[in-house]
Amino acid sequence: MADRNVCIVGAGMDRWGVREASIIDMAQEAAKDCFDDVPALKKDDIDGLIFASSYCGRSAFQVNAAPVVAERIGIKPTSICTRVDTLCAGGSSGIIMATGLIKAGMADVVMVSGGEKLYTPQRWETYYSEMASIDHDWDGAQGMGLPPPFFSMTAQDHMKRYGTTKEQLSAVSVKNRRNGANNPKAQFQKAVTIEEVINARAVVPPLGLFDCTPITDGCAAVILVSEDKAKELTDRPLVYIRGTAQASLHSMSMNWLGEDLSDWVHLRTAAKKAFERARVSPEDVDVAQTHDCFTISEIIEMEDLGFCRKGEGGAFVESGQNDFGGKVPVNTDGGLLSCGHPFGATGIRQAMEIFFQLQGRAINQAKDAKIGLTHNLSGLNVEHTILIYGREP
Amino acid sequence: MPVPGVPILEGLYPSTLDMYPFEAKEFNRVHQFYENLRENRFTTTKCTKCGTVSFPPRVVCPKCNSDSLEWVDLPTKGKVLRFTEELAGVPLGFESPLIHARIELEDGRKLISRVINCKEGQLKEGDTVKLAVYDVPPMIIEKRGGVMEEAPRVFFAFEPVK
Ligand SMILES: [Zn+2]
Repeated sequence: MADRNVCIVGAGMDRWGVREASIIDMAQEAAKDCFDDVPALKKDDIDGLIFASSYCGRSAFQVNAAPVVAERIGIKPTSICTRVDTLCAGGSSGIIMATGLIKAGMADVVMVSGGEKLYTPQRWETYYSEMASIDHDWDGAQGMGLPPPFFSMTAQDHMKRYGTTKEQLSAVSVKNRRNGANNPKAQFQKAVTIEEVINARAVVPPLGLFDCTPITDGCAAVILVSEDKAKELTDRPLVYIRGTAQASLHSMSMNWLGEDLSDWVHLRTAAKKAFERARVSPEDVDVAQTHDCFTISEIIEMEDLGFCRKGEGGAFVESGQNDFGGKVPVNTDGGLLSCGHPFGATGIRQAMEIFFQLQGRAINQAKDAKIGLTHNLSGLNVEHTILIYGREP
Repeated sequence: MPVPGVPILEGLYPSTLDMYPFEAKEFNRVHQFYENLRENRFTTTKCTKCGTVSFPPRVVCPKCNSDSLEWVDLPTKGKVLRFTEELAGVPLGFESPLIHARIELEDGRKLISRVINCKEGQLKEGDTVKLAVYDVPPMIIEKRGGVMEEAPRVFFAFEPVK
């Protein structure tokens, strides 16, 4: 039997931000939004749930959360029901795994859901838990859990090596905050000026308040099905998963492979594989959601994803090449900088935005989008995950 | 002291919230790393079959799968390539300024470490730093008969060479 093609047919998310809700509450809200998006789907059709959450074991004292989510939202999976943890890429991992299962005929209709409740009753606990999110016994015990110091050094490396400026970093924030300003689900729905970004309170220089993604509560969900099933469920244009890759080449800071921290070998490795699998090249991508956990991240991602040459990311973003009207509009829904970043949900939110873009119904629509890309980096830049979507299989 | 909200934890040690490694030999087969730290040695494991030196230390060679490994010394001095000083929002368990540096050891290996015994504004790129071993709170291990034993611990950072 030939592999089946796999499509997204529905997507939804709750309002992200500082939520007066538990993770199980938000999983229900995201699932409802997702079910509302694909009215022909019956709950009994769903035979799989993959729930992506890294912190539920810590912040909700709930491991094996998938059966809990399945029961609360009223589905009874019979092919797969599991939780995945890839920190910032958990949702993308779930989509990759669901794609494989459906392709192989081991599942038919899979909900990939994910999210985090990061605001605990006391703030210290949220930050404290971050020491568990990297190589704990080595980098974690050095107090490296919170990523701003790591990305500060990354930005310094890029600035010293290529002459990247604070204005160029700020351009990423201005674009993404503008794109998020009309996104009703985003944590921040307010544009910022370049002066506001440059003059904002320093977090760890050269990174200021608007260079960093906030801490966020939120969930998101998508429905993946085989192509045949998709044709039954929707009259909208089909959106296919064309190719994926996830590269992890090191874990501890001693084993970083790049020449400096702005040299992301593992991203180039993942990109090469994802583009090969999807049978497209960077020039073919019409719209992309890349992991803007920090402004410097989006600049380096433009380079190592192949949208521009190495070292030219600063000029690329400053001249609007990653904006509407440029080479490839990036983070069209506001990205992490506007939407926030509830780790397990982020890859799903990105998939939702690409799904809407490729169906022509995004809030900030890219023209004639046919190929879309999502990208995550996880933890202290130890893993890169890429999915490429298309209007054709 | 009672723990607010969780009265049953009074006087108990929740190891799942421990920010430092479980270093004690009962829980850790690279326990020797920490023993060596006490002698101010920065060490790791080397494979006796294929010669691969890997950090962090491990119990099986990642190259050839041999479990015959020996301890070797790494340099305890290096130079600062980049650094950051975190003044506000330092996580619980660390004091301000929380300084991190990417350090190139004398053998060319690079790692990110805390820099301690260093004032704000003191560190410069290119500065030489050396290994600094410090005590961290002990782990409490339950022994036979419910006896609680304290396992002392150390951890490492780097510090400026005066
Ligand atoms: Zn070996």
